Amino acid sequence: MGLLILRRLVATVPVLVLVTAGVFALIHLTPGDPIDAMMAESVDDSVKRQLRSELGLDRPLYLQYATWMGRLLQGDLGRSIRNSEPVIQNVGRRIRPSLQLAGLAMAISLLVATPIGILSAARRNSALDRVGTSFALFGICMPNFLIALLLIFVFGVTLRWLPISGYVDPLEEPWDGLRSLALPAITLGVALAAVITRTLRSSMLEALSEDYIRTARAKGLTDGAVVRRHALRNALIPVVTVLGLQLGTLIGGAVITEYVFALPGVGRLVVDAVFARDYPLVQGVVLLIAVGFIMSNLLVDLLYGWIDPRIRHH
Amino acid sequence: MAAIHLERIPTDISRRTFLQAALASGAALAGPRRAWAQETPKRGGTLRVGFYIEAATMDPHLSGSKIDRQVYHNIYEPLVVLDTNLGIKPGLAESWQQPDSRTVIFKLRRGVKFHDGTDFNAEAVKFNFNRMKTEPKSVRKGEVASIDTVDVVDAYTVKLNLKRPDAALLATLTDRAGMMVSPKTAQERGTELERNAKGAGTGPFVFAEWVKDDHLLIRRNDAYWNKQGGPYLDQIRYRPIPDDTVKLQSLQAGEIHVMDYVQPRDVAAVKADRNVVVVDVPSLADFAYQLNHTRPPFDNKALRQAVAYSLDLEQIVKGVWLNVGVPANGPVPPTSWAYDRSIPFIKRDLAKAKAKLAEGGKPGGFTFTVTTNNIPINVQEAEVIQAQLAEAGITMKIKLVDSATLLADGNGRNFDMISYQWSGRPDPDGNTYQFFRTTPGTSLNWSGISNPQIDALLDRSREVGSQVERKKLFSQLTRLLQDELPMVFIIHPIEPKAFSPKVQGYDPIPDGMMRFKDVWLK
Repeated sequence: MGLLILRRLVATVPVLVLVTAGVFALIHLTPGDPIDAMMAESVDDSVKRQLRSELGLDRPLYLQYATWMGRLLQGDLGRSIRNSEPVIQNVGRRIRPSLQLAGLAMAISLLVATPIGILSAARRNSALDRVGTSFALFGICMPNFLIALLLIFVFGVTLRWLPISGYVDPLEEPWDGLRSLALPAITLGVALAAVITRTLRSSMLEALSEDYIRTARAKGLTDGAVVRRHALRNALIPVVTVLGLQLGTLIGGAVITEYVFALPGVGRLVVDAVFARDYPLVQGVVLLIAVGFIMSNLLVDLLYGWIDPRIRHH
Repeated sequence: MAAIHLERIPTDISRRTFLQAALASGAALAGPRRAWAQETPKRGGTLRVGFYIEAATMDPHLSGSKIDRQVYHNIYEPLVVLDTNLGIKPGLAESWQQPDSRTVIFKLRRGVKFHDGTDFNAEAVKFNFNRMKTEPKSVRKGEVASIDTVDVVDAYTVKLNLKRPDAALLATLTDRAGMMVSPKTAQERGTELERNAKGAGTGPFVFAEWVKDDHLLIRRNDAYWNKQGGPYLDQIRYRPIPDDTVKLQSLQAGEIHVMDYVQPRDVAAVKADRNVVVVDVPSLADFAYQLNHTRPPFDNKALRQAVAYSLDLEQIVKGVWLNVGVPANGPVPPTSWAYDRSIPFIKRDLAKAKAKLAEGGKPGGFTFTVTTNNIPINVQEAEVIQAQLAEAGITMKIKLVDSATLLADGNGRNFDMISYQWSGRPDPDGNTYQFFRTTPGTSLNWSGISNPQIDALLDRSREVGSQVERKKLFSQLTRLLQDELPMVFIIHPIEPKAFSPKVQGYDPIPDGMMRFKDVWLK
């Protein structure tokens, strides 16, 4: 197991180099530069030139990338051009709300999707199945921002049960923190639950049609035992795959949800950084997102082995 | 100080009333001074303010963001300040003299201390101007370019020696270029001042904390030098809420007390809401499109005029901006003393537009591209302009970009026509010189206009001290600009701000900055 993890981690190095080099090239080739973005007001061109030179922005692109990579190998992600703050601090501060939001959204989606998915499959074509399928369709079709605005209107403006926007760290103030994350987590959770419900339902249907299920039933097992012990475990592989991909996306930032709820997460950070052409910050966040994806995929691979011993033995 | 007390009088601090009053008086905000209930201000409470983005830096000499200014005007103080009619009155300087056109002498207020306990004096003023002129990242260099040297005459008298006459200097010093930072704090803290302004100002509130991406907190300065009126509030908490709809809902739900700007699309609904008070603040802004004089098609004056005659500004202001503003006749806004209401904005005249097309050698029309920000109201405006031009036979393609690309395209003159939304400056010089002067040493003359007559008018407007004379010069300039068209001027927008009915004592000034010294919570 340890060797597997090590091998996978080594294999991520070229991926990270490719991703960061690609983003570095793209962001630098996009029109606009951080000095123009920062000094929108009238400033002598000579001042801008001087600043570009001080920041090394007038050097060839490959040299700028090599310098960035050299610093990275020493554990230095550089400083934000806009506010001179170390990138590592910027990113470190933003990752916490994103992880908390991702975790909570995942928990909500699993709590909702697992029973609906299982029951929809087990009671196929029943009224319950139709309600479950409709919920999944609603969740997939509704844009995130619309769900967000509806939730804000109902729970924030009308009922005033939950705060509309802003962030309180649940690790410092658990109750207020959970309240501040409730609406964004439900927003993301509903969409994610819809995807998981559909995936789980179809993989459960497939599992329930297998011979070993018929055998289990022939042994006299109850419906519940057949579903729990035999069908569900076999139906989990596609669900875990979906979860892994979604986790990576959520860590990378649920941009719209963070924007609507004014949550200081990674998604808003990267969008703001791109608009400001804050190159070191964009690079730092992209690196973080890439690592997030790689880690969540690694986690998924390890979970495969835990769920299905055949994969582990291979 | 007279102040507007915000209560739920659903009234009509309407745009029309406001602007009529502004126009009638040559000032901005005579309109809303009506019979507001006069109550004794109460001390205490936290004012919660929602902004559309976060502040960028706490160092006024390095700031290029409007939101920063909103915070600064409560922490820092400039040498001179604006009143509600855009007049200039004493700030940290209690008086000033201009013995000749190249000298300004400020008598400074005694007994003022920075929040770090050090004295505000002539040495501090000299330090600040030198810092603005020499600090590598200073964004104020252009604004204080006319200042050659600063002499300390005595502890409370300072003399500015100018390189050239600069009639706009005093107005410029009402904002960041006039804001005084504690030399001790600036030197000791270095670049950290950008994130931590504790001790740096002299204003009615002191910087307390800035939790990036979450909130910025300032607290009442109990040792504030000006004992008249406030500060009354215990503290002010600024929060970034990027989504306009959510920000409005936060106000309606009582999570915030103030929002900095109401989108035109929301104005009518907000005014109908009994739990919100809207104050229309006529701004100093002009929103326009720069036309590139350095390349075809707009190196051809007749084609520029064809575009101007094709546009129906009233329709744009009504249909896109929902009347939250007035059609622009030039760069000088109606809030300014220099605004000439006798000059009409360019009216739509398709016959003239077609004649100009023929004169420009394109009787069948021509095609060009407009570059504009990819935000809803800009897109709508571009689409309306596209349709209006099409009726004259002119085809306009729309290129949507983000702000950084817009700035790059503008600075590089890589455009035919480009959107430019300028927040405006108290002196008309700030809305004109850097946009229309040849080789101004700045980079906002994107159109590339170079006209000796315009240059002469702009130079003269800086040399002349009399406001009456300057107003005539700006009128001449406006007429010339309508003919030469480095820009097609569209709208002077209004900046509606929304408040909770609990907020009292807010005194709006047309620079759009929210000064909370005398504000209190009911």
